[in-house]
Amino acid sequence: MIRVTLKGILAHKLRLALTALSVMIGVAFISGTFIFTDTIDRTFSDLFDNAFSGQDVIVQSETEFNVGFQGPPPFDQSLLDTVLAVPGVAAAEGRAGGFAIIYNKDGDAIVPMGPPTLGSSLSIDDHLLGAAELRAGRAPKGLGEVAIDARTAKDNQLDVGDQIQIQTVTGVSYYQLVGIIGFGATDNLAGATFAGFDLESAQKLFALEGRLSSIQVLAEEGIGSRTLRDRIALAVPEGIEAVTASDEAADQAEALSENLGFIQIVLLVFGAISVFVASFIIQNTFRIIVRQRQRELALLRSIGATGIQVVLMVIAEATVIGIISSAIGIGLGFGFASLITFVMTLGGFELPATTAPLAMRTVLIGGLTGIAVTVLSAIFPALRASRIPPVAALRDVDVRLKRSERARTMLGVISLVAGTAIVLSGLFTNVEVGPINELIAVGIGATIVFLAVSLLSTNIVKPLISLLVLPLLRLDPVAARLASQNSIRQPRRTATTASALMVGLALVATFFVLGDSIKATTGRAIEQSLRADYLVSVDGFGGGFSPLLSEELDASDEIAATTSLRFGFWDLDGSEELLVGIEAETVEATIFLDVKHGSLSDLAAGGVFVHEKTADRSGWKVGTSIPMGFSTTGLQQVEIVGIYGEQNIVQSAFLVGLDFYKENFQGFGTDADVTVAVKAVDGVPAEKSRAVVEKAAINYSNARVRDQAESREYQESRIDIVLGIFNALLALAVLIALFGITNTLSLSVFERTREIGLLRAVGMNRRKVRRMIRWESIMVAALGALLGISIGIFFGVAITAALSRFGITAISIPLTQILSLLIVGVIVGLIAAVIPARRASRLNVLEAISYE
Amino acid sequence: MPGDSSAARMQSGIKVYGQNHTEVWALDSVSVQFERGKFTAIMGPSGSGKSTLLHCTAGLDNLTSGQVWIGKTELGSLNDKDLTLLRREQVGFIFQTFNLIPTLTAKENIILPISIARKNPDLEWFEKVVETIGLKDRLHHRPSELSGGQQQRVAAARALVSKPQIIFADEPSGNLDSHSGAELLDFLRRAVDEFGQTIVMVTHDSSAASRADKIMFLDDGRLVGEMPDPTIEDVLDRLKQYGN
Ligand SMILES: Nc1ncnc2c1ncn2[C@@H]1O[C@H](COP(=O)(O)OP(=O)(O)O)[C@@H](O)[C@H]1O
Ligand SMILES: [Mg+2]
Repeated sequence: MIRVTLKGILAHKLRLALTALSVMIGVAFISGTFIFTDTIDRTFSDLFDNAFSGQDVIVQSETEFNVGFQGPPPFDQSLLDTVLAVPGVAAAEGRAGGFAIIYNKDGDAIVPMGPPTLGSSLSIDDHLLGAAELRAGRAPKGLGEVAIDARTAKDNQLDVGDQIQIQTVTGVSYYQLVGIIGFGATDNLAGATFAGFDLESAQKLFALEGRLSSIQVLAEEGIGSRTLRDRIALAVPEGIEAVTASDEAADQAEALSENLGFIQIVLLVFGAISVFVASFIIQNTFRIIVRQRQRELALLRSIGATGIQVVLMVIAEATVIGIISSAIGIGLGFGFASLITFVMTLGGFELPATTAPLAMRTVLIGGLTGIAVTVLSAIFPALRASRIPPVAALRDVDVRLKRSERARTMLGVISLVAGTAIVLSGLFTNVEVGPINELIAVGIGATIVFLAVSLLSTNIVKPLISLLVLPLLRLDPVAARLASQNSIRQPRRTATTASALMVGLALVATFFVLGDSIKATTGRAIEQSLRADYLVSVDGFGGGFSPLLSEELDASDEIAATTSLRFGFWDLDGSEELLVGIEAETVEATIFLDVKHGSLSDLAAGGVFVHEKTADRSGWKVGTSIPMGFSTTGLQQVEIVGIYGEQNIVQSAFLVGLDFYKENFQGFGTDADVTVAVKAVDGVPAEKSRAVVEKAAINYSNARVRDQAESREYQESRIDIVLGIFNALLALAVLIALFGITNTLSLSVFERTREIGLLRAVGMNRRKVRRMIRWESIMVAALGALLGISIGIFFGVAITAALSRFGITAISIPLTQILSLLIVGVIVGLIAAVIPARRASRLNVLEAISYE
Repeated sequence: MPGDSSAARMQSGIKVYGQNHTEVWALDSVSVQFERGKFTAIMGPSGSGKSTLLHCTAGLDNLTSGQVWIGKTELGSLNDKDLTLLRREQVGFIFQTFNLIPTLTAKENIILPISIARKNPDLEWFEKVVETIGLKDRLHHRPSELSGGQQQRVAAARALVSKPQIIFADEPSGNLDSHSGAELLDFLRRAVDEFGQTIVMVTHDSSAASRADKIMFLDDGRLVGEMPDPTIEDVLDRLKQYGN
C-alpha cells in the first residue's frame, strides 16, 4: 500500500508541487518568524554583552520594572567615591546619559524609526568603555567635542573634523566631531544613534550637573564580579543597586526583545492565516485527487483493500506532502527571515545579515504545523475515498457520494451562528476561559465563521455564478456558458476554491473598514477637540525635543498658550499602562478635554485624571485612590481628581500634571516633550503665527509643525502605513489562494481532458478553450471576492463598534477601496488561469478523446 | 445441500436499479450455482444482467433480495469489512478494462492483493503463474507499456496469485483482438485444468464461451438455459435460435 501511495505521488508532480507550495509558504512564514526572532534575540544579547564587556559591576538607581532604553533615573555623583572605596574595586567611573539627536549636514535631525537617539559620556578607562571603541579620531574632550557611532557617520557622510549640530534637553548646539565609534563588529547599537561626550560635558548637556546615570566598575584581578557586587551592594544607600554587568546585559537584552515581541505575534498571526488559507487548497486538491482516482481506489477495494486502508493511503500521501513541503518551508523560512531583517534594516535597525541557526523549536512548530494542516485537511477527502464502493471500478458511472446536503447546510448554519456569537462575545465582553482571552476568542470565532461560510457557500455557488455569468454571456456566449456550467458542476469544489480567496480578501476589507473608521474618528476628534492652532510633535515612535522649544514659544507675543505632552509607562497591578503628562495649567486653551468631574487645577496640583470609560469599567470615581507603580519612584497611591471624555488627541486613559510627571519619570527621554499644542493669540493671521512656530522649531528639526488639517493628514498617513504593512502580509494569503485556483483548475482540466478534446473535435478553437478556462477562473475568484467583501465589512463594522470603548466612535466603510478588492479578485482569476488555460488549449485532440 | 460442490451460489437473486417509473429489474429471481473446479461462461444479450449477476455473486454489489454464498459463507450476513476480507482471500477479478493501477509495474500489480493483505507472496506459486502467462520479461513494465492482451494477462495473473476460491471475469477479452483473446482464454483454461481453479466468465464471444465447461444463458434478468460441454457449433446454433 505504501508503494501505491508513493508511486501515486511521484506520478503527479505538478499536483504535488502546487499543493506543497501552499503549505510551504505558510510554514516559511511561521518558521521565518521564529528564525527572525531568534536572530533579534541573539543580536541583542550579543549587543549588550558587547556593551558591557570588560565591566564587572554596574551601579545604578533601583527601578521597579525595566523600561528598556528609558533607563534608571540619575543619582548624586558623590556615590562614586563610596564605590571607589569598596575593597576590590580596581576602577570605577560615572556615566551621564540622555537623549542626543544628531543632525545631518542639511540640518535635519537623524531620527531612526523605533530605535532611540542615545547620548552618553564615554569612559576614559578602556575596560569600562565596553565594546565601544574608537574607529577613527580621538576621544572627545571638553564642551563642544563629540564622537558619534560609525553607522550614523557613514550614512550621513559625517567625518572627523566636521562641525555638526546636536540637540539635547538643553538645546541645540554645534560640536566638533572628533571621533568615530564602533561597537565590536557592529557599527551601532541596534539601530540607535549615539553621541559620546566627556563626562563633565555630558552632565552639563543632559542637565545632570552633580549627578550620574550609572557607575561602571572594574574588579581587581582575582575578585569575582558577584563577590564585588555583593560588597558594593552593602556600601551603597537605599534606592541604589549593584548588578553584575552580565546580569544587566541579559536584562536589557530581554527587555528589548520583549519590546519587539509584538512583531513576533503579528507575524505569527499572519502566518497562521496563510496556513489556514492553505488548508482550503489542500482539502480541495485531495478531494479532486480522490475523485480522479475513484476507479483506481475502487479497484483496490474490489481486490480486497479495506476502507481503512484506503483512508490510510490518502492520509499517507498527505503526510508525505506535508513532510516534504514543511522541510522546504523551513528552509525558505531563512529567506523570509532575511527579508524581514532587510525591511527592518531599511527602518534603521542595524541587524546582522546572517540569520540565527535553526532552533529545535522552529523545526518542531513549523514542521508540525505544516504536517498537521496537510493531514487534517486531507481527512474528509480520505473518508470520502473510503466510501467509494468497489463497483465504481467496473461501471463508468458518476458515483456521487452525497453527504446529505441538508446535513451540510445545517452544520453550516449552526457554525455560522456559533462563530458569529463567539466573535461578538470576544469583541463586546470580557472573555477569560483558561488561556482564551478576547483576542483568541475573536480569532477562533472568525475561523469558524470562515469555515461556515465556506460550507454554506456551496449552496449559493449556483445562483451566484448564474448571476455573475450574465454580463459575460453577451461578451462571449459559448465559452462563458460552458465556463459557468463547469464551475457549477462541482459546487463544493468551487466553493472551497473561492473560500481560500475569501479569507484573505475578507481580512483586507476588515482592515479597510477599521482603518477608515479610525481615520474618521481622528478627523472628527481634531475638529472637535483640538483648540490649538498647531501641534508640534516628533514623528516615529520614540524620542522628543527639548522643552526649550515651548519656552521660546511662551515668550512670543503671537502665542497665547502652549501645552506640553509627554508619555510614560507605569504599572497597574502588574499590567503596563500608558499615561500622558500634560501641562494642566494651559490645556484649557489648547485641548478640549471634556472634563466630566473634577477640575484641571486639581490635576495641576497632583493626582490623576481617568478617562470616563476606564473609570466606569473599573468602578472608579473622583476620590478613589489607585495604585500606580513607577519605575523610578515605586508604588504610590494616587487619588483620582477628575474624569474626562476626550481621548483621541491625548491618546491615553490616564492624565497627570507635568510636575507630577517630572517627579515620577526620570531617565532617558522623559525630559523631552513629545508633543506641544500651540494656541495663537486671537486675531494674529495664520501666516504670522505659523512663521513664529516654525522659527522656534527650526533648530529642533525632528519636531514637525502641523496645523489642524495637516495633523489630520498625518494621522491618516500613519494609519495608511499600518494598513499597508498588514495588507502586504495578507497579500501572501491572497497569493496562496491564487495557487489554489490554479491548482483546482489544472486538476479540473486534467479531469475533463476527454470533454475538452471533444469540444476541440467539434470545432472549438484553442482561443475559445483558453477563454472558457479563464472565465471559469474569473468567476470563481469573483465569487471569493464577493464573499470576502461581505464578511470583511461585517467584521470591520463589528470590530469598530467594539472599539468604541477605546474612543473609535465613527463607523466608516470606504467604498472605493472595498470595490477595488473585486478588481483584485478578477486579476487574481486572470493570473490563476494562465497555466491551466494554456494546458487546456494545447491538448492534442486525438489523444484527448482516446485518453484513458 | 449441493453447496459442497459449488464454489459460489445465488438463490432467488433479485436486483432492482432505480425507483418507481425508472425501475430496472436487472436480475429477476435468479438461482445459479458455479461448480468448483469448473470453467463456467455466462452469455446473453447486452443489458440482460450478466455483469449484475457477476457483481452480486462476487460481493461487489448487494442484491435487492435473495442470497449469495461464496463457499459456505452467506454474503448478506457480512459487514463491509468482512466482505472486503472475503473478497481479498476468496475471490479474484478480471475486468474488461482498467484492471491495473497505472503507476505500478506488472509485478507490483500482480502481487497487489497479497501486499494489501500484508502477506508475503508465495514465490514458487508466483513464478509458476508468471511462467504460465508468459510475461516473465515484462514484469517491470508499467501497464501503459504493455499491450492490451498483456495487460489482461497481468490482470489474470493477479486474480490467480492469491489462490482464490473463485475468479470472476467480466468480458475479459472484450477489448482484445482475436489472437490476444485466444491467448488469454488458453491461460484461463490452463488455470482450470492444471491448477483446479474455479472461473466464471461473462462473454459475448462464442468461441470463447465454447472453451468453458458449461454455458449459462441469461435474458432480461432471467436464467433461460444451460449448455454443458459446449462446442462452438452448439453455441452458434443456440444463438441463432434465439435470434441474437
Ligand atoms: N447503476 C445502475 N443504475 C441503473 N441501472 C443499471 C445500473 N447498472 C446496470 N443497470 C441496468 O441493469 C440492466 C443490466 O445491466 P448489466 O448487468 O450491466 O447488463 P449486461 O452486463 O448484461 O450488459 C441494464 O438494463 C442496465 O441498464
Ligand atoms: Mg456487462
